[in-house]
Amino acid sequence: MNSILIKKGNIYPMTDEEMFVGDILIENGKISKIAKNLDDKADEVINAEGLNVLPGLIDAHSHLGLFDFNNDKGNDDANEMTKENTPTMDARYSVDIDVPEFKSAYEHGITTLLLTPGSGNVICGLPFVAKTYGDNIFDMTVKNPCALKIAFGGNPKNTYGRRSQLPMTRMGVAHVLREKLREAKKYMEAKDNGENPAYDCELEAMLPAMRKEVPLKMHCTQYDMLTAIEIAKEFDLPFSLEHAWGATDYLDEIVESGCSICYGPIATYRSPGERRKIDVEAVKMLDDRGVNVAVITDSPIVTIESLYHHLGEAVREGLDINRGLRMITINPAKILGVEDRLGSLEVGKDADIAIFDGLVGLDTDAKVIHTIIDGKVVYSK
Amino acid sequence: MYIIKNGEVHIGDGNIMSNTDILIENGKISEIGKNLNKNGAEIIDATGKEVFPGFIDTLSSIGCMGIPTSYRDNSEISSPLMPEMDVSYSIDPDEVNAQEFYKTGVTSIGASPDDTALIGGKIAVFKTGKAKFADRLLKKNTAMKCSFTTAPKNYYGGKNMQPMTKMGMADLLMNNFQRVKTAEEKDLSTKDKELKKLLDGEINPIIAANSKSEIDAVMEIYGKECKNITLSDPFEFDRCLDKLLEKKVSVIMGNFCSLSRKTRHNMKMEKLNDLIENGNLIALSNTCSGFSEGREVILWSAIDIYRAGVPAEEVIKMLTINPAKILGVADRIGSIEKGKDADIVIYSAHPVKTYNAHVEKVFINGEVIL
Repeated sequence: MNSILIKKGNIYPMTDEEMFVGDILIENGKISKIAKNLDDKADEVINAEGLNVLPGLIDAHSHLGLFDFNNDKGNDDANEMTKENTPTMDARYSVDIDVPEFKSAYEHGITTLLLTPGSGNVICGLPFVAKTYGDNIFDMTVKNPCALKIAFGGNPKNTYGRRSQLPMTRMGVAHVLREKLREAKKYMEAKDNGENPAYDCELEAMLPAMRKEVPLKMHCTQYDMLTAIEIAKEFDLPFSLEHAWGATDYLDEIVESGCSICYGPIATYRSPGERRKIDVEAVKMLDDRGVNVAVITDSPIVTIESLYHHLGEAVREGLDINRGLRMITINPAKILGVEDRLGSLEVGKDADIAIFDGLVGLDTDAKVIHTIIDGKVVYSK
Repeated sequence: MYIIKNGEVHIGDGNIMSNTDILIENGKISEIGKNLNKNGAEIIDATGKEVFPGFIDTLSSIGCMGIPTSYRDNSEISSPLMPEMDVSYSIDPDEVNAQEFYKTGVTSIGASPDDTALIGGKIAVFKTGKAKFADRLLKKNTAMKCSFTTAPKNYYGGKNMQPMTKMGMADLLMNNFQRVKTAEEKDLSTKDKELKKLLDGEINPIIAANSKSEIDAVMEIYGKECKNITLSDPFEFDRCLDKLLEKKVSVIMGNFCSLSRKTRHNMKMEKLNDLIENGNLIALSNTCSGFSEGREVILWSAIDIYRAGVPAEEVIKMLTINPAKILGVADRIGSIEKGKDADIVIYSAHPVKTYNAHVEKVFINGEVIL
């Protein structure tokens, strides 16, 4: 594999170190050196003078390839709405990598996605982490599963409410989730005690979450987030709140719970109920109080490149851009549990790098000049 | 009475006046110039700020989307031809208020029927700031909303009614146009009279068309009948440039940030420059297919178009004077000119050029809204 030397870029490492002008050497798909000045020989040299060098951007909540609106009928492979809990659903089998948005993603410097089932059920299935470039989703996968997807509120209750089935209500959703978590806990404890319980594929699928190896990824807005927090605490499980519209009303509860937040998408019209408060200013307030926050697009509901706009709107509300850049790089990497490989520019990490003219999230005309994934230049302007 | 002092004043027509003052009296812009003074006027210091005419969301379903239930008050689709409908009777001002449009600088919307009927009814221009309804309703019957997207055939075809196909859509339109043109005045129904106004140029059509084939069909059908044509959401405009240039067709670009529209239509936004050079009017909106999204979308569209290489002041025109012209209200709004409504937004920086720009003050009809 070709080695690449990036010269004289404004390097935003997304570590404790601030931006500096320097060089990055890429070998064998990994970052092998970073310093103010490198003299190493490389197969390819990229002059990045005046350009901003960032870790490949990460969207921590996407449905690319699971939803496809690129034709009249549209396609939903995100919601297996045949029963209220479907924890075994493995999102990789629904992803069509031929949708054009994967190309849009890496052309905009977005190199990693968390791809998740939709929110039609209470327990929806298993999200995973994938790179945006490749020709086989299983080879593009970085981590599977990376969470257990759960949904509160209008999505599941409308799905089953229309069928006059449990859950028709918010209290029904809370009940359904709690019952299933109890079952899973009992199953795990039985296994741990050597009791050899009868194999249950659904409860097996929940084990990584019950064992705290992956977090619960909980779709909720407004006061549903209190229910989410209460249930996650009851079972002592790590979790992130997804979408989190209305978070400014529940700052103390969020901070106290120690959860992460995946905020977005915004730009929805406002109406009573779940859409009544879209408060992107929450992003800064949560960050100020030490919460790990990512901004997300929910693509293709909103375009994948709207990641720029989502960050930009947080900046418009007073967020410092240097804090903001973390919300599309290292912060989501931590939520996805891939911070050992992605999310920052450090020796040994995957060489996923976005080189921008302009600063994304601040300059509206910031453009990607090169995108590098696994040490390969996959896009150049 | 206010004087906005020393701002970077974007007139709305592409020109900028630096260090300029604006005097607001009786809800109108009464003077623009340097070092203005007036006894009793409150001074608003806009030094270092960017001052714009209030932005206009050219086509919107807001006010008619039926919150919290899901009725649509801009979708009287009991027949595919409903030119006699007047959307001003459907606007719920509280729903408009809930959007807090002024937080992105939007001070007027073009309230519009949706895309379901072939001819959905007449558009009204409505202001976004709280006031008496009559003071907010700027003008009724400003344009006729028409549609040649897949929405009509999907809806009526689903009921085994014409139109079930695109040819069925064209057939209904052309037969009715022909009938109305040749009928005697005394035989015309209320519906027919409204259709005739469209053909006589008394009211201009705004026609939704997304794909190249839809745009081509619209140009064939309406191009022969109507002089001033505006297309809404013509996402594949770049593939029909010749016709659009020749007819100087105006274009309203609705929300392309949602549901794969950009990739589905392989949008080439840099090609908007060809229309601009030719003098075609381009405007923006938060809406597509009759579904409106939040107030942020119009800025995101503006930013995407700027990032694609359209000059920033041309983008500002898409938010101000161009929609005012398309909606036929440029005598009242859309630019900072003497005698026009004092709908003005003061931004901390240029919102098309940087995300770090926030709305600091908004005037609607000369009143401070924010």
